[in-house]
Amino acid sequence: MAKQSLDPINKIVAEFQAGRINRRDFLRLLGGLSAGAAFASVPAVAARAPRMNVAPAAAAQPTPQLMIYGGAQDIASLDPFDRTDYSISAIMRQVYDRLFRFEGGWPQPVEPGLAQTWSASEDASEWTFEITDAAVFHDGTPLTADDVVFSYQQTLKAQKQRSSLLAGFLAPEGIVAKDSKTVVMTLTTPYGSFDRLLAFLEQPIVNKALALANEVDGDGGAAYLIDKDAGSGPFKVTNWQVGSSYELEAVEDYWQGWPGESHLSGVVWRKTEDVGTRKTGLLAGDFDVADTISATDIAEIDANATTFTNVDYGLLGGYLKYNTQSGPTADVNFRKFLAYSFDKQAFSDSQSGYVKLMTGPLPEGVPGYDAALDPQYSYDPVKAKEHLDMTEYKDGGIALDFVYVSGLDFEEAGGLILLAELQKYNITLNLVPKNWPDIVGACTAPETGPAIAFIFDQFPPLGDTWLIEKYSSKSWDRPTGGSFQACSFYKNEEVDAKLDTLRVTVDPDEAAKIVAEVQTQISEDAPDLPLYVSPNIVGFNKRVKGFVYAGDISVDFWRLWIDDAT
Amino acid sequence: MLRFLARRLLIIPVILIGLSLTTFIVSRLVPGDPVKLAAGPQARPEQIQKLAEEFGMDKPLAEQYLTYMGGLFQGNWGYSISTKRAVGPDLLTYFTATLELTLVSTLLGLVIGIPLAIVSARWRDRWPDHFSRFISIGAVSIPVFWIAIVLQIILAQNLRLLPVGGRFDPRAGFPDTFTGMLLLDTAVSGNWQAFGIALRYMILPAFCQSLLVIAVVTRQLRGDMLDIVKKDFVLVARANGIPERTIWTRYLMKNALIATVSMLGFLIGFELGGSVLIEYVLDWPGIGQYALKAALLLDFQPIMGATLFIGCVVVIINLITDLLYRVIDPRIGFN
Repeated sequence: MAKQSLDPINKIVAEFQAGRINRRDFLRLLGGLSAGAAFASVPAVAARAPRMNVAPAAAAQPTPQLMIYGGAQDIASLDPFDRTDYSISAIMRQVYDRLFRFEGGWPQPVEPGLAQTWSASEDASEWTFEITDAAVFHDGTPLTADDVVFSYQQTLKAQKQRSSLLAGFLAPEGIVAKDSKTVVMTLTTPYGSFDRLLAFLEQPIVNKALALANEVDGDGGAAYLIDKDAGSGPFKVTNWQVGSSYELEAVEDYWQGWPGESHLSGVVWRKTEDVGTRKTGLLAGDFDVADTISATDIAEIDANATTFTNVDYGLLGGYLKYNTQSGPTADVNFRKFLAYSFDKQAFSDSQSGYVKLMTGPLPEGVPGYDAALDPQYSYDPVKAKEHLDMTEYKDGGIALDFVYVSGLDFEEAGGLILLAELQKYNITLNLVPKNWPDIVGACTAPETGPAIAFIFDQFPPLGDTWLIEKYSSKSWDRPTGGSFQACSFYKNEEVDAKLDTLRVTVDPDEAAKIVAEVQTQISEDAPDLPLYVSPNIVGFNKRVKGFVYAGDISVDFWRLWIDDAT
Repeated sequence: MLRFLARRLLIIPVILIGLSLTTFIVSRLVPGDPVKLAAGPQARPEQIQKLAEEFGMDKPLAEQYLTYMGGLFQGNWGYSISTKRAVGPDLLTYFTATLELTLVSTLLGLVIGIPLAIVSARWRDRWPDHFSRFISIGAVSIPVFWIAIVLQIILAQNLRLLPVGGRFDPRAGFPDTFTGMLLLDTAVSGNWQAFGIALRYMILPAFCQSLLVIAVVTRQLRGDMLDIVKKDFVLVARANGIPERTIWTRYLMKNALIATVSMLGFLIGFELGGSVLIEYVLDWPGIGQYALKAALLLDFQPIMGATLFIGCVVVIINLITDLLYRVIDPRIGFN
């Protein structure tokens, strides 16, 4: 199952469009091709295109500069075997290399990283990865297959957050190094999209020798690595001020080179939790980049002479989850009544239009996304009344709880829109703001689950994972209870069976067919109202160049450089 | 004095045990599942179980409390279930930032508040008094986070005189510290350039935080001075021809400061534990933010650690205040 099949010209064009080749190199490569000088070696050239930027024509290169990044989230830990918060992942991407790159554009393509080539057995139960021999850790040690094996095994053994999805397919003993450059993973459950899953999970590849030299109680060096690095990425950790600022310094001779006209000399991640302070910092010039900008600040930032914003949509979907096991929402007609009663456009207006309304359980960017899915539950008071009349609550006189995260205005706005509509039917909607841990706790079981909860979900861009975690009854009907993602407590035996089949289906066409069927059935049962995909809004100073959106809240520092001339 | 000190020191453990028990009960009574939250949304049952065992959350509550307190007596403040970081070193890091801010803001509050109070009382019901009362009432009635935001926009965004937040210029590189208090460390090491940068970053948060001190000190001291100015000894002093300035700054001030010093201990304790909003808006990495984040995540050991740590410091500050109180006014005595 070879993955690199693009012809040379297309590949160079794709590399250019993804931002990994600058215009100068793009033209040079095309020129080279037309001259026929390097035709035979083009695949290799293209695969390593970034390295060619190491020595571009130097005359006009801006000097590498330090970039100050205002990040909304603290970076609580650099433990490569534990958490995957967006801030942690953003730094990990810079400090460590992964088997695959997953930041070349949007929707996210799976691209070679440390794994230069990879293949799977026919039944997708055994995956082989050929590791580059060019990668070097920051201490000068060459990166080998042994380091890859150690990193994955340690994550699985640690059983922390990072292992959650991986553990469903892989056990530590299923990962072996065939030789110094070849890793073989034998899955416990065959999985046709395993490469895509690995790309999404972004396991940092750790310098095994360094980690083990600092190991305590068999932790694989996790405690040591909590604020230090053992990576081979384009940046290394230089200063780590807990709760305040985190400094990275560029590795000049990074093995993949630098894709832009220049590169950053370093990055300081300034933790700035207040959204107003991030905006002010950007406008004041204290920050070169600030993430998670409020939609209401976009106009002000864009109007400023030195700053601009980038608005894109990723995989963070907002859902109104109905408790399908308890109370009025256990009645499918009542759920449909609620779904048709929600004015999505009013919600979009309340967010200044910076939302992408969803058409079904899967958001755009996930394979299986269906823009024409039916039904989609657009606001329709006539249909809403029809469905209400089919329930025992047609005269109203009931009260429902609408639970949302305390302090999140956009979630409250959703509640207010529904509240106003339900009043017309003599139904009271109690808006109940709660702290996030309370909501997580309440979503454990149907008995404690709220009638309606505003929940955000994000999964890998894999249809099966997305659907299973939310809509399989196995995700909540179990001894440890459900996660907030399964807060609808949805149970449809037919859907359960299809999702079970989907997980082990290797044939992509067959999998796509099941995804389509399941989506339609779920939509018909209306266990939730897929509402919208949240925007990722990033503010930039105009001197920052090279940004390529890749579906993430943060940005890829490797691609950026600062040019004061523009 | 020694008996007084011993008596007060003996009470401290009782207070702290009471505080720990209250914090433990309250933090464990609130709904929510900290283990499930820390394990993450896609956690498998065995992961949740492992995490619960690792942090002793599968044990009965009484056992959890005793284990935690046992560890505490051995100097182990525990670990965050969320970040897996050791709580003790983190508390020190965050607390020193808050302590530095509190000391500077209190000093600033006194430097501004005491002269304002004297001026206000000396020229009662005249324009200096009106001005002083306007300042003190405004400082206590306008939300301090709002003032912080306004000053941030004016001084940082528009005039670019001060940074929007943080403790140090990231472009200058964080200086080496040994106490965690940047002003002190840079001054002691003679790194005056870094001292200047740290001072620049301190101005906005310290000023905002000092507003409460200014308000309280001005009003308290003014009122006490106006009471004392009617006393016989002041009349006698005036009759003896002692200059008015000396009467106000020495005789009146010394007597009027007693209540203010008592209030100051309370204020410092309040600032140490209650500066969350300032820390949040001005991005000051202090213990308030640390405790708030732990509370929002139901991260039990950091919650306990932060509460007990702040509790310890407040108890010690109260003790110092009580001693100071008696030094200023020996009539109170130690009995």
